[in-house]
Amino acid sequence: MSQTLEVATPQVAPPRARNRWRILSIVFAAFVALSAVRMFTGQPVLTGSGTIQATLAFAVPIGLAGLGGLWAERAGVVNIGLEGMMVFGTWFGAFAAYTTGNPWAGLVAGVLGGVFGGLIHAVATVTFGVDHIVSGVAINILAVGAMRYLSILYFQDAPGGGASQSPPLPGFPRVGLPFVDSLLGPVEERQWFLVSDLAGLVIGLTTDMSVVTLLAILLVPASYWLLWRTPFGLRLRSCGENPDAAESLGVRVNGYKYVAVLVSGGLAGLGGVFLAMVASSIYQEGQTGGRGYIGLAAMIFGNWRPGGLAMGAGLFGYTDALQVRGSGGAVHALLVLIALALVAVAVWQWLRGRRIVAGVSLGFAVVLGAWYLLTDTLPRELVTYSPHIATLLVMALATQRLRPPAAAGRPWRRGGGS
Amino acid sequence: MSSTQSGGGAAPPAVELRGITKRFPGVVANHDINITVRPGSVHAIVGENGAGKSTLMKTLYGMHQPDEGTVSVDGQVVRLHSPSDAIAHGIGMVHQHFMLADNLTVLENVVLGAERLHGIGARARARVRELSAQYGLRVDPDRLMEELGVGDRQRVEILKVLYRGARIVILDEPTAVLVPQEVDELFDNLRELKREGLTVIFISHKLDEVLSVADTITVIRRGTTVATVDPSGTTARDLASLMVGGELPVPGLRESTVTDEVVLDLRDLRVEAADGRPVLQDVSLRIRRGEIVGIAGVEGNGQSELIETIMGMRPAVSGRVELGGTDITGWTTRAIREAGIGYVPEDRHRHGVLLESPLWENRVLGHQTQPPNSKGLLIDRAGARADTERIVAEYDVRTPGIDVLAGALSGGNQQKLIVGREMSHDPKVLVAAHPTRGVDVGAQAAIWGHLRAARAKGLAVLLISADLDELIGMSDTLHVILRGRLVAEADPATVTPEQLGSAMTGAGLSSDDEEPGPREDEAEA
Repeated sequence: MSQTLEVATPQVAPPRARNRWRILSIVFAAFVALSAVRMFTGQPVLTGSGTIQATLAFAVPIGLAGLGGLWAERAGVVNIGLEGMMVFGTWFGAFAAYTTGNPWAGLVAGVLGGVFGGLIHAVATVTFGVDHIVSGVAINILAVGAMRYLSILYFQDAPGGGASQSPPLPGFPRVGLPFVDSLLGPVEERQWFLVSDLAGLVIGLTTDMSVVTLLAILLVPASYWLLWRTPFGLRLRSCGENPDAAESLGVRVNGYKYVAVLVSGGLAGLGGVFLAMVASSIYQEGQTGGRGYIGLAAMIFGNWRPGGLAMGAGLFGYTDALQVRGSGGAVHALLVLIALALVAVAVWQWLRGRRIVAGVSLGFAVVLGAWYLLTDTLPRELVTYSPHIATLLVMALATQRLRPPAAAGRPWRRGGGS
Repeated sequence: MSSTQSGGGAAPPAVELRGITKRFPGVVANHDINITVRPGSVHAIVGENGAGKSTLMKTLYGMHQPDEGTVSVDGQVVRLHSPSDAIAHGIGMVHQHFMLADNLTVLENVVLGAERLHGIGARARARVRELSAQYGLRVDPDRLMEELGVGDRQRVEILKVLYRGARIVILDEPTAVLVPQEVDELFDNLRELKREGLTVIFISHKLDEVLSVADTITVIRRGTTVATVDPSGTTARDLASLMVGGELPVPGLRESTVTDEVVLDLRDLRVEAADGRPVLQDVSLRIRRGEIVGIAGVEGNGQSELIETIMGMRPAVSGRVELGGTDITGWTTRAIREAGIGYVPEDRHRHGVLLESPLWENRVLGHQTQPPNSKGLLIDRAGARADTERIVAEYDVRTPGIDVLAGALSGGNQQKLIVGREMSHDPKVLVAAHPTRGVDVGAQAAIWGHLRAARAKGLAVLLISADLDELIGMSDTLHVILRGRLVAEADPATVTPEQLGSAMTGAGLSSDDEEPGPREDEAEA
């Protein structure tokens, strides 16, 4: 008995609470740095309210796709078919909105279209054990072809429609706090350090927002609450971590996988509705533009957690917004920000004793700084592709300590364990 | 709780199995099993691998129904159609392979599937803490599962069962994955459960452990109960003869076959972990023809790294490995194997066999370039299959055929296949890590016999084992490894397991004529 007393396990405080504060402080530091860069480069577009709104508009479909990926992968199903499910969402949303004239009917139909894509994926992967990637890619290919076929059937002869696009669609109502813009607008224009940037942020987040955007933003905390704070979520996540264990405890694994993949498809479908009816006012072929994949990247960046993926989607949306609104000059100014970030990385790595990494980071920082000082704008091609380059860079740098669900992507059959 | 405390004659048995028979297509797994388990006792069920213990426990846990016979719980005949039925009757099971999700917290693992009892939040956490304190399990509900070691994981499994209100806890081979200290802790936990009035059914084939913890022992042989004995009036030897119907094998070597010819020569090996920390330092070791050199040590002191370095799976920072005078440092694993080093890996599922492949393919693996497995560049199917049949016969691998997937065999039979495969190519050196781990007594004796025979023919063996009796009995020379260094050499003829155990923890070979403390001079010899 005395032995058991000696061998007490070392008590380590769970690092989560600390983590939360660290992430918040990093976000805040990034914002301060952004503000400083705006002062330094004289590019108000970096933190302007218009940029924030554009960021939201670009981030929402990516974030919805990412949430879809999160739901599916947390239950153990890799959903590379998000892109196709978004395509279903764009077309069915457009079709229903056009035929009824009611945007809400479009929203419901678009979500159901995505759910339909999810159902195909669930039947293939969960019931028949098809490889998740194969099934997902098949859905992506199927969606494009099938929607073009339906467009020819239903949109070709409509006024303003065609084989690759729909007639104009009704829009969603927009909401906002009425007094914020008039109150904070002048503050934003003063270009004060930090204060004006905060004003821009607040205006961007409270004014003239589509209800679908608001709904999408609310879905992030809602997903967190459902998946991490309810027994339903615990069971769903257990299917993605160790389905054999879940089954041994009476969890109906395949049922949860179905629910997760259907919700995943529905979220992607909602992303499609947003693209067709909020970001634009018609359905167009190729409208999704790979956002399903970028959404998956945002989810990975966010370490398979809702808050993280929202940050990832925001990052991608921000670079997108800059290249559209600010063109070369704003993206050019970003070079300074990246150089600053690299200096920070260099200092941190130096303190951790990794001299080589620190040196390399510092070298890149110097190169970027010199690049900024010696040029006035970036080549047009680089500006257009800056969101994709950002995706690549972020994935390369941020994917060091990620923890995907252990059983994600693995075909699973009942009664496999013991 | 108080009414079932001491389990006197008045209380009905916690579990009573009467005439249980269970048939599977082609085999009768259980036949006329009769067991009576007193409430508040630790009841052990022992038997060789494949004797039908696990089938019986699955019956009791409702994972399948018996073809004949009855199950009674607390004096009432019950029909258990599913594990949920079993749980409803207060029966819980701790599986041999843990059923835990690494990326969830302890709390989440415990409450999963039983959320209705206390939710998944603060109330559940309080209940876990309460149970943990009540039974002395020392489990922190908020740790992430992946941070926990094997012993802690097992306690979480026990907690899972208790959380669901089990009064009867089945443990299926709970000590197979534990190191000796963890086994002691587990037994303390079991005694604690017993003190709280719970009934424990404990399945094992390790007789010493069973004798130390059980109140009653039932022996199963070939699917039926052969005896129920009281541990105070019996010995491991008696139990073994009941189990196998014969004598308990003792590890031992007859006469020395050691020669002067050095076959494997390790010189000043140094190996580092990924972060530059040394995991092996100044390791020098010679193994001669016909010699078995044993390495004793608490797990994680560099044994794995030593083996992997010899086999070319891990690069040495400095030092040399010579095989029969040829420097093989830095050779590829295949070249090393072809040069004549056989390898029985410590984790057979990670390194030894492909569970999803048939036996004959597993027999080819690692020797795919040599006859009888290949002809020129092609695999010789017929030759490999014929040779697999030979191994199955010679090494007594119990299998329906050589096209069976390796995963369908019990661990002991997989191990026999591996040993047979490695011996088939007349190696000069055999690196054997835990060759009898998880193997029943019959197979254990057979593997020892094969090692002895090969040694007599001139095989040099590096033996690594956690079983000190095996090490002492089977080695010509014994070294102790501690924190990556060979710190002491012992004579297996005179050393006791106790002395070896204290040397393994760094206290030195504490006999009268030797001074305590690590003896590093041994390593430089």
